[in-house]
Amino acid sequence: MPKQIVVIDDEKIVCNMVQRILTQEGYEVETFTDSTQALNRIREKEFDLVITDLKMENIDGMDILKEVNQLYPEAKVIMLTAYATLDAAIDAIRERIFDFFPKPVKIEELKKSVKKALGS
Amino acid sequence: MTIRMRIIIAAIIQAAIICVISIFGYLSFNTILSKLRTIEIIDDLNISLLEIRKSEKNYFLYSDVNALKEVVGRGKEIDKVVQSSKKEILKGLGPKTYNVLGTNLSKYLELAQKVISTGKTPPHFGEEFRTLGHELTRLSEVLLKRERTDVNNRIQNSIFMLIISLSAVFLFQLVVWQYFFHFIIKELAIMGNLIQMASQGKLHEVAKQTISPKNELDDAIKALADMARELEKREAVLLQSEKLASLGILISGVAHELGNPLNNISLMAQGYLSLYDILGDGEKKNFMADILTQTDRISKIINNLLDFSRQKKQELIEIEPGNLIEKSITLVSNQLKITNVKLHKYIEPDLRPIYVDAPQIEQVLVNLFINAIQAMPEGGDLTVNVGQEVENGYLIIKVKDTGLGISKEDLLHIFDPFFTTKGTKGTGLGLSVSYGIIRQHHGDIAVESEEGKGTTFTLKIPIYQPKEKEEDAQADRSH
Repeated sequence: MPKQIVVIDDEKIVCNMVQRILTQEGYEVETFTDSTQALNRIREKEFDLVITDLKMENIDGMDILKEVNQLYPEAKVIMLTAYATLDAAIDAIRERIFDFFPKPVKIEELKKSVKKALGS
Repeated sequence: MTIRMRIIIAAIIQAAIICVISIFGYLSFNTILSKLRTIEIIDDLNISLLEIRKSEKNYFLYSDVNALKEVVGRGKEIDKVVQSSKKEILKGLGPKTYNVLGTNLSKYLELAQKVISTGKTPPHFGEEFRTLGHELTRLSEVLLKRERTDVNNRIQNSIFMLIISLSAVFLFQLVVWQYFFHFIIKELAIMGNLIQMASQGKLHEVAKQTISPKNELDDAIKALADMARELEKREAVLLQSEKLASLGILISGVAHELGNPLNNISLMAQGYLSLYDILGDGEKKNFMADILTQTDRISKIINNLLDFSRQKKQELIEIEPGNLIEKSITLVSNQLKITNVKLHKYIEPDLRPIYVDAPQIEQVLVNLFINAIQAMPEGGDLTVNVGQEVENGYLIIKVKDTGLGISKEDLLHIFDPFFTTKGTKGTGLGLSVSYGIIRQHHGDIAVESEEGKGTTFTLKIPIYQPKEKEEDAQADRSH
């Protein structure tokens, strides 16, 4: 069974591209531009990997990270952000983040990181 | 002609009038004084003559020669006086009467002398002697009376002239001061009007005054207009520098805001390259179209910022308040994202338009938003409430934060230039400039704050009344 990934970003293009690339790599990918809907979905279904933006309209990336860590200790979280500050990175590391990508994201690096996270 | 020259001329004319009056007064009193001296002499003469007549009477009563001798003795003294005071007596009697007086006196004394030396009284002596004596006393009395009347007349004339000249001086003063008051008050009114306009922030109106100075007050008016022009320039510089300070804060937000579209372009391009072989023509086209959309987004962000930073000539336009507020919020939207500040906006529908310098009001709003965001370092709620008081004719914008609040003491100085609670991070000009802008728009800005709870700024901006604008324009033309 393919690994389950969820991508959450306000930006539709990010969702679409990441989905496209990772589907190509053989993963099953769901996307959400609304973080509230995404969190509801996460509560219903366990994903192996959550790729989320940090700053979002409703619920932000840190809240999603905390919730995922609480619900699914096995799941990994990769964070993407255009607001990459050292403070944000440190906060994320404290909350057991797997990887942290400042935007613009390099697809090859993201692919590598995903592969590493999912151990495949 | 300068006011100084006018005052000098008026003073010279007045001094000249007073000099003429003084000279006239001096001459007139001098004459009176000399007349009084004459009267004294004539009075003495008169008394002496009366004494002689008394001796004459004694002679006729007692036929005493000694009495006649007394007559001659006194008569010689009188003759001496008549000779020595010839000038004064001449003035009073004229040469003809003076000669009559002299002749009569000599004849009178001769007669007496003859009687003394001969011891005989010639025929008709008594009658002739008495007639001469009588004539002498009559003359001296006439003389005395005439001189007294003359002095009286002169004194009366002097008093009359004095009253007339004092009245003339008073009238002259009245006219001169009336002229100066009218002239100076007229110019002061112009100046007062300009100062009032300046104090209301209508520097532009004051700066428009062109006047070719003819006097000191014109100089002052011109200096006022020059000052307004200079202040206007400084104000523009101040406004711009304060805007640039706001821009410095906005720029970090904008840099982040650019991150998303840049990331999108980068992702699309990378995807395009790595998926090139499997993408259909239509998909390739879509990729490129998406990239273009993202570059447009970047342009928009940059243009927004450039638009805000640009120094513009003041220009009043009719504008929907909703648009203005949305535009200002856009400028700080990323600041909100970075700082975990949640924005709540309530904009009443059907807001009446306002007639303002849009970039300036935008600057005020951005400034208030930045202040609010900075007051909430740990995040919080920024509430923007926009409504209107149609009956009072005001648009009301409330900007409320849940930040640190401002102490009562600081609240007193919050709109003072260079006052800041942000230490070296603030210029202390933001609110002072905002205050200036709002006052210039005939609006008001007020603040309420509670330490630890937050601060609310309330802006009042007049609603656009088209009629008023026409009246203003008419008033402008008539100026």
